[in-house]
Amino acid sequence: MNIDWWTLGLQAINVLILVWLLQHVFWRPVVAVIAKRRSDTQKLLDDAAQKRAQADATLAEMEKTRAGFAAERDAILAAAKSDGERIKAQALQAARAEAETLQKAARAAIARDTATAQKASADQAATLAVDIAKRLAARLAGPAVEAAFLGWLIDEIKALTPAERQAVADGTLDLISAQPLEPAGKTRIEKQIIAAFGTHPEITFRVDPDLIAGFELHSPHFLLRNSWQADLQRISKDLRDAA
Amino acid sequence: MNSPLESVALFYLGPVPITSAVVVTWIIMAVLVLGSMLLTRRLSVTPTARQAALEVFVETIDGQIRDTTGAAPAPYRAFVGTLFAFILVANWSSLIPGVEPPTAQLETDAALALLVFLSIIWFGVRGRGVGGYLKDFAAPNPVMIPLNIMQSITRVFSMFVRLFGNVMSGVFVIGIVASLAALFVPIPLMALELLTGLVQAYIFAILAIVFIAATVGENKPANDEAASGQSQ
Repeated sequence: MNIDWWTLGLQAINVLILVWLLQHVFWRPVVAVIAKRRSDTQKLLDDAAQKRAQADATLAEMEKTRAGFAAERDAILAAAKSDGERIKAQALQAARAEAETLQKAARAAIARDTATAQKASADQAATLAVDIAKRLAARLAGPAVEAAFLGWLIDEIKALTPAERQAVADGTLDLISAQPLEPAGKTRIEKQIIAAFGTHPEITFRVDPDLIAGFELHSPHFLLRNSWQADLQRISKDLRDAA
Repeated sequence: MNSPLESVALFYLGPVPITSAVVVTWIIMAVLVLGSMLLTRRLSVTPTARQAALEVFVETIDGQIRDTTGAAPAPYRAFVGTLFAFILVANWSSLIPGVEPPTAQLETDAALALLVFLSIIWFGVRGRGVGGYLKDFAAPNPVMIPLNIMQSITRVFSMFVRLFGNVMSGVFVIGIVASLAALFVPIPLMALELLTGLVQAYIFAILAIVFIAATVGENKPANDEAASGQSQ
């Protein structure tokens, strides 16, 4: 057995060269593409994980937003309920106040109407009473009544102060009677009046049936009423004032 | 048929005799390199069937290295993978009529064993330093130094003898049967030789990585893809 050392060395070098060549043309390219695929796959997985995390975060955000919507809805409902109750209370209070105002106004109107009706009734009653009295007084007219009224007239003239009597005596007096007077009657009455004044005023005679009965003295500055008409007007006024 | 223990020079390059084993080795180298260039021309992230087969082959080599050493395969891939590919193609070249496989020649197997021997030293020194590598010979105690040295030589020697014996005997048997029997009689034996060639290539490559891993020991590269990528 002989070993060819040249061949042995050549073969060793050949295999070393083959190792070097295959390292560059086979092992390295194939391993590089495998590593690149692994890297790409890992990147894809990382991206997918990142996107999933983003999706989870977005989902959580949406859930939070939805919860916020529910809370906001509850708050809006509560606020609307509160506003509704407040408006309802305000409306009730306003209605109550308006009702009270209306009640007061109605009461006032009723009271006013009642007073007006009472006054009208009183006026009516006074008018009726005066009418009744007028009719009764008209039936009582006669010489006795006339003498009584003349007596009361004289008394009232005498009750005047001297200055008042003096002021009337210098003017003209209208003696108004309810019935036309006879000349004798006029003279008698004139004498009594002159006597009562103590002066000599000029007296003219007029007739006013509205007096019903009695006498009145009129001058530009003096008025002395002494008749049923004056009495009834005074009574009617008192009745109306009392009503 | 020439004796497998003798190398016959086909021609000479100066003082260097060029035997048939060297010529066939050159042809195998050319086939492997050109074939690799053709196969890796258009690699892409989306693999074709051809690229997928290449990747499966590389991943299988890496898996074997990883399973055997527990380390990242990158530093050893080119050496061990090329050993396996060369021995396999060399063994199967016997199926081509008129071609004598280089691994049936003593010098080729011895050269392979020598490379494994040197690679063990290279990886051992690179991984553990000169002191660490040499200290390994004194384990478990200095008395074992001669035995450890003897073991480091004999285990490599056994590798090349095993490869040479198996391939040479197969070639011999087929040659003897072919010379004695009809043309198609050696075919079953050739099929068996296919299996033998594959197994011997596998055993040689695995033993090489086992010896390297045993020398590198605890200072193996980290078994992760990052280390693998950086070591390309």
